[in-house]
Amino acid sequence: MRQTGVRPKTRLRTPLLIAGFVILLFFLLSLSLKHSPALGRVEGALVSLSAPGLAAIHYVVDSLQRLWAGYFFLVGLREKNEALQRRLDDYLPKEVQYQEAVQTLKRLEALLELRQELALPVTAARVIAYDPSLWSRCLILDKGKNQGVQVGFPVLVPTGVVGRVVEAYPEYAKVMLIVDRNSGADATLQRTRGRGILQGKGGNRCSLEYLPKNADVQIGDLVLTSGLGGIYPKGLALGHVTAIDKKVPGAFQEIEVTPTVDLSSLEEVLIARVANYLLKP
Amino acid sequence: MVSTILILSLVALGLFYLQNLMLYTQVHLLLPELLVFCAALRHPLLLAFSLALLIGLLQDSYALTPLGLHVLAALIIVGAARAAQRKFLLQHPLPQILIAAGALLLQNLTIRLILMLVGFRETFFSDLTPSQGMEILATAALTPLFFSLLTGVEKRTNPRRKQSLLSN
Repeated sequence: MRQTGVRPKTRLRTPLLIAGFVILLFFLLSLSLKHSPALGRVEGALVSLSAPGLAAIHYVVDSLQRLWAGYFFLVGLREKNEALQRRLDDYLPKEVQYQEAVQTLKRLEALLELRQELALPVTAARVIAYDPSLWSRCLILDKGKNQGVQVGFPVLVPTGVVGRVVEAYPEYAKVMLIVDRNSGADATLQRTRGRGILQGKGGNRCSLEYLPKNADVQIGDLVLTSGLGGIYPKGLALGHVTAIDKKVPGAFQEIEVTPTVDLSSLEEVLIARVANYLLKP
Repeated sequence: MVSTILILSLVALGLFYLQNLMLYTQVHLLLPELLVFCAALRHPLLLAFSLALLIGLLQDSYALTPLGLHVLAALIIVGAARAAQRKFLLQHPLPQILIAAGALLLQNLTIRLILMLVGFRETFFSDLTPSQGMEILATAALTPLFFSLLTGVEKRTNPRRKQSLLSN
């Protein structure tokens, strides 16, 4: 009797578990598609909880890399050049630190130059995480609301535009890259001043949309921000035209643009505090 | 079971960190998904679901896709693993690799379909590159290694099971 009393309960447990998870899932998806602020807070909490671990590992890895480059990697050389190396030993760690400092200085100088060129209030930030998904392109930065970062702020490097802030958490910010499918920017061709919309295409590609077939476009043309649209300042490099197809149906040509910025190896970026209005992805 | 969930959650977090530091943005091996797959084959459904929820939410938080998409993707892996467990003998590496590859492929196609349904129209046929197929196969090839990892975790967290394994 006892067994028959337990069996239905056990039999129902798995379907109930599955049903519960499916309901939870659809609840989450439905709230997410409505851009629920509560889910934004959940995301923020998860990023805030897990990102410090990533930042700490970055720090440890950087330190180990410096140690490796400055000492262990050179053990073999020391054996060959013992006498000379002994004198150099004292200088090598300093040299490595110096080189590292020079590289950092160069990057920061470039950022500073950009800062002066822009003449805008900017905040420097470090990239601490990349998008794990195959379906979107974004970054996590180590600056957030507490440092004055807001949704809509453009993110730049000396070689061009990276993207814009789409989520700002207390200590972190999520940046949508210009190659993300939801990204759009008002753009202009430097050579001919032809205007269009730079649309992200996923991967490392963008396309310049709404340029008529009779517009003059050549491979290699530089695409710049037009300053219209209220997100990106005028005259910043977005990418180069890498393919043109005028045989497609419709009134517009198909133009592929490759970003000027290597979006897969960013370390430091500048967040320009210029957003006129906020946009959601 | 709670200790197993905690340990597997830490392993999942470790895999996520490892990928973010070493592999992204060039290579997208689906290591957390593979962990979910192996956990779904070896552990109770509740544990597999909990792990899928954790990994899915973590991935959703770092991406721009709707929150819940990666949770759904992880649950598909759990479903595929449980269905395969009923139909096939998964004692040897080759069937494990083949079923894992099938589950990851199914997950990929389902995500494309869902993204298309929720408004990302171009997603279904886009980025169908050979490298994605290679990444799925490379991930699946790691299945026996993950099984060994889970066996190790089981031995540490479940002494009774360890004893039964030893007696066998």
